[in-house]
Amino acid sequence: MSLEQYQDHMEMCMRCSCCKFIPMQRVQGHKYTYVCPSITKYNFHSYSGGGRLNIGLAMLKNGFNYTDKLLDIVYNCQMCGACGVSCNYAMDMEVIEPINEFRIKCVEDGKTNPALEKVITDLRKQGSMVPVTGKRGDWASGLNLKDAAKEKVDVLYHVGCLTSYDKDMQRLAKATVKILQKAGVNFGIAGDNETCCGSRAYQMGYEQDFLNQAKKNMAMIKKAGVKTVITSCADGYQAFKVLYDKFNLKGDLEVLHISEFVDKLIKDGKLKPREKVDLSVTYHDPCRLGRLGEPWIHWEGKRLSKSFVFDPPKEYRRGTYGVYEPPRDVLKSIPGIKLTEMTRIKEYAWCCGAGGGVTESNPGFAQWTARERIEEAGSTGAEAIVTACPWCEKTLKEAIRETGNSLKVYDIVELVEKAI
Amino acid sequence: MALSKEIYSVFEDVVGPENICDDPVIMPSYFGKDFAAVILPKDTKQVQAVVKLCNKYKLKFRPICTGWKGEFPQGIILLDLRRMNRIIEINEKNMYAVVEPYVISAQLQAELMKRGFHFNVKGAGTNTAAMLRGHGHLDQTTSGDDRNHLAIEWVTPEGNIVRSGSLGSTDEWFSGDGPGPSLRSILTSAVPPGSTPGVFTKAAVKIYHWPGPCRFPVQGVSPNITLSEIPPNFMARYYSFPSLDKMMQAEFKIGESEIAFELMGFNIAMVASNMTVSNEEDEEVFRQLKKESQGVGFFIIIAGNCAADFEYKKKVLKHIINETGGKSLESIEKDPRNEGILLHNCIRICASIRETFRSGGRFASIPMMGQRDLTVRWAVGAGKAKRSLIEKDLVVDDDGAFFGWGVEQGHLGKTEIFCRYDPVKPGAEEAVLKWKAEQQKRASDEHYFAMLWGPEDEIGKGLCNYQLWWSKLKKAIDPNGVALEAGSLV
Repeated sequence: MSLEQYQDHMEMCMRCSCCKFIPMQRVQGHKYTYVCPSITKYNFHSYSGGGRLNIGLAMLKNGFNYTDKLLDIVYNCQMCGACGVSCNYAMDMEVIEPINEFRIKCVEDGKTNPALEKVITDLRKQGSMVPVTGKRGDWASGLNLKDAAKEKVDVLYHVGCLTSYDKDMQRLAKATVKILQKAGVNFGIAGDNETCCGSRAYQMGYEQDFLNQAKKNMAMIKKAGVKTVITSCADGYQAFKVLYDKFNLKGDLEVLHISEFVDKLIKDGKLKPREKVDLSVTYHDPCRLGRLGEPWIHWEGKRLSKSFVFDPPKEYRRGTYGVYEPPRDVLKSIPGIKLTEMTRIKEYAWCCGAGGGVTESNPGFAQWTARERIEEAGSTGAEAIVTACPWCEKTLKEAIRETGNSLKVYDIVELVEKAI
Repeated sequence: MALSKEIYSVFEDVVGPENICDDPVIMPSYFGKDFAAVILPKDTKQVQAVVKLCNKYKLKFRPICTGWKGEFPQGIILLDLRRMNRIIEINEKNMYAVVEPYVISAQLQAELMKRGFHFNVKGAGTNTAAMLRGHGHLDQTTSGDDRNHLAIEWVTPEGNIVRSGSLGSTDEWFSGDGPGPSLRSILTSAVPPGSTPGVFTKAAVKIYHWPGPCRFPVQGVSPNITLSEIPPNFMARYYSFPSLDKMMQAEFKIGESEIAFELMGFNIAMVASNMTVSNEEDEEVFRQLKKESQGVGFFIIIAGNCAADFEYKKKVLKHIINETGGKSLESIEKDPRNEGILLHNCIRICASIRETFRSGGRFASIPMMGQRDLTVRWAVGAGKAKRSLIEKDLVVDDDGAFFGWGVEQGHLGKTEIFCRYDPVKPGAEEAVLKWKAEQQKRASDEHYFAMLWGPEDEIGKGLCNYQLWWSKLKKAIDPNGVALEAGSLV
C-alpha cells in the first residue's frame, strides 16, 4: 500500500475530534476520557489521528515539506491505533493505516529519527530490537527444551527479543515453559534460529526491515514444518498473526498468543490453576494483542457512486475482534484473583507508551504515557496491574519505579505459573 | 503572515514555548489556513493576556473549542482552547454546571447522570463543547440555545474580563440576567454572525432532572455497542404518519401533553444511519425502514419518573398516535436491540457523525428556527429540490427528507434539511451549494423564516436591520477590529 491509496479516506476526515477520545458512548465522566496519548500530551491538533490525516492529505496535494516539527509530530505517536477505533465507531474510513504509511514514507525519504536509526542498524546486524548479550536461547540453558528447527514439535514458542535478552524478562519465558510443560504440550523453541519478528521495525516505519525479518522467520517455520506458533509478546503476536498475513507471508500458520493458548488449555481441562493467588488486579490490554491484534482483512474493490461504499463491501478493522476475553478468562480462572476493570479497556484501552518506537525516540513521552496508565490502574483499588506483553510490563514498571507507586506489575503467565 | 520573532516571543512568554506554534506544517490540521500562529492558553488569565497582545499588535484572532467546524481567514491568531478543559462546578442545589470551553458534552453529561441530572447536548454531537450554543435532540424538555446559558465569563475583544448576570455581582453562576449585567443581546444571538467576538472562558449551563440510570448498561465491542437492557420506565419508538398535517398534529399534541422526554423529528434515513455501523448496512436498513414507513415521522423517547408515570405517558401517547394515524416502525418496536441503540445514541447524542458525515464525507445544512408547522412546509419544497440532486446521483439518497422538533414542548422549534455528499465527486459540491442558496433565498422571499446563516445585509432586511445596530455595538466593544466574527463554532 502507499499513502496515495488512502487519499479518499483522508478526505473523509471532518475534524470532529472523536479520535482524541474513547468512543463517545463509553465516556463515563470527566476523567479517563482521552484515548490518544499524543494529542493528550502535545495538545496541538496536529498530534491527533485526524490532524495527522489532515497533514498527510495536504502533503499529498501540495508536496512533502519535512520540517523538524513535522518529524516531531510523526515520531511522537505510539501507533497504538486508538484513534482509528474511536473514529470507526461512527465513520467508514481508514485511520491508522494512512498514518502508518505516512511514517513509512518518511523513512523511505530518509527522514528518520536518529534513535530509531540506531535501533534498526542494530536489528540489521544482530536480528534483535534490544541489546544482544550472549545467545538468543541462553535463557533456556538447562531446561532441555526441544529445538523446533531440528525436532518435530506441535507448537513453536516464539520468545521474542525482549524476553530472550532482558535478564528481568527472561522469567516470563521460563514461566511460559513451565506452563506448557505442565499441560504436556509438545513444543519447542527456535533458539538461535529465532530472529526478531519485525513488528517494532514496522511500527517505526521501516517496512523493508520488517519484511526481511518476516521472511526469515517464515522460512525457518516452513523448513521446520511448524503449524502453530505461540507468542508471549503482543508485538510478536501482531507480527505473525496480522502483519505477516497483510503481506501474504503467513500462509495457513496458526498463531496464538499465550493467553489464548492457556485459556484453551484450561477450558479443555489440560491445565488446572489450583493454587490460590490472593491478589486484586486490573488488566491492561496491550494494543497489539487487543485492537491491533484483530485479523487482517484482505480486500480489493472499487468505490461506487456518491456514497462512500464499495464493491465488494469494504470491511474495516475497527478493533472489534481483538483478543480481549481470553486473558480475562484466564485471570478469572485463577483462585483468589479479583479482577477489577479500568475505565479504558479492550478496544479503547490507553496505550502503555512503548509502541511506535517512542520508547527509543522519546522515552520521556513513553514514561508519561505509562504514568497515566498507572494512575488509572491505581484508581481501581487493585494491588497489581496485569498485562500480556513484556514491552508493556517493562514500561509500566519503569513508570512505577519513577513515581514511587506501590502498584505491582505482572505478566499473565507469572500469575498462571503461581496457580499451577 | 508569520509573526516577527519579537512578537512571537512575547506570546511565548505568556503561554510557554510548548503552547505556541507557527510552523506551517501544522496548519493543514487547523482548517488548512495559514494562521500567523496557533496558541494554546491554559486559563482565563492567559486568554486575557493573549487578547491584549492581539490588540497591542493589531492582530486579528479567533478562538476554537473542539474545532469541528468554523470559518477562518488566513493570517490570524488562532486560540485553540483545548487546555481549558475543567468542569469548574456542578451545583446540584441550584441546578447548573460551570464548564471551560474544552469540556465536551459527553464528559459533562456523564458526570451529571451520576448525580441524577442531564443537560442539553447539542445535535452536533456529544464530542463537541458542552458550552456550545445551539439546539439538539433534547430540546423538547431542556430547551435550547441561549435559554440554557446562565452566567458567563467573557474576555472581551479588548481583553477585559466581563462576568455576566449574577456572576457580575455575587460570584454565583445561577443567572445570566442578574443581579448584575445582563448582556444577553451581545453574548448570544440566533442570527448571523452567530458568534460573540472575544472569548468565552467559562459558562454556566442549566441542568435538568434525569429520570434514568447513572450509567447506561452498555455492552459489546465497538462499533457493535448495544444496551444489555432497556432501562426501567424508558421506551423509544419511531412513528410515521399518513400526512405532514397528521404528523404535526401528533407533535403538537405530544408537546401539549408534556409526555415526551425527547421528540426528535428524524427522518428514516437518519434513523438508519444512527443504528447501523457501516454505509453498506445503512443503505440496506434505509431500504427496509422505507418499506415499513408510511411517510413523514418522528422519533420519540418516553421516560417515566416512576412506573405509574411511565404507564400514564404511554397511554397518552397511544391515544395521540391512534388519533393521528401514526404507525410504529416494527424494526424498532419489536427489536429491543434496535430500540436500545437508538435510545442510547439519541440521549447521549453519540451518533450524529453517522447521520451526517459517514455516507459522503460532507454535508451542507439549512437549519431554521420558527413556527414548526410553517417551517416544515418550506422544508417540503427544499426536499423536493433535493430529490433532483439525488436523481442525478450528486447527493446521498435520503428520499428528499428533512427533520426537526419542537422546543420546550411548544410549537416553536427547529427545522433542518441537509444534503450529504462527496466533495470529491465532480459537480457535487457546486450543486449542493446552489441548492442551499436557492432554498435559503426561497425561505426569505416567501417569508417562511429568518435565516440562521447567510449574508447579514440580506437577513437584516427582514429583521429591523439588526445588523446595523450590531455593527455599532461591535465597533464599541472591539475598537481595534481584532476579534473576528465568522459564523458559529462547534
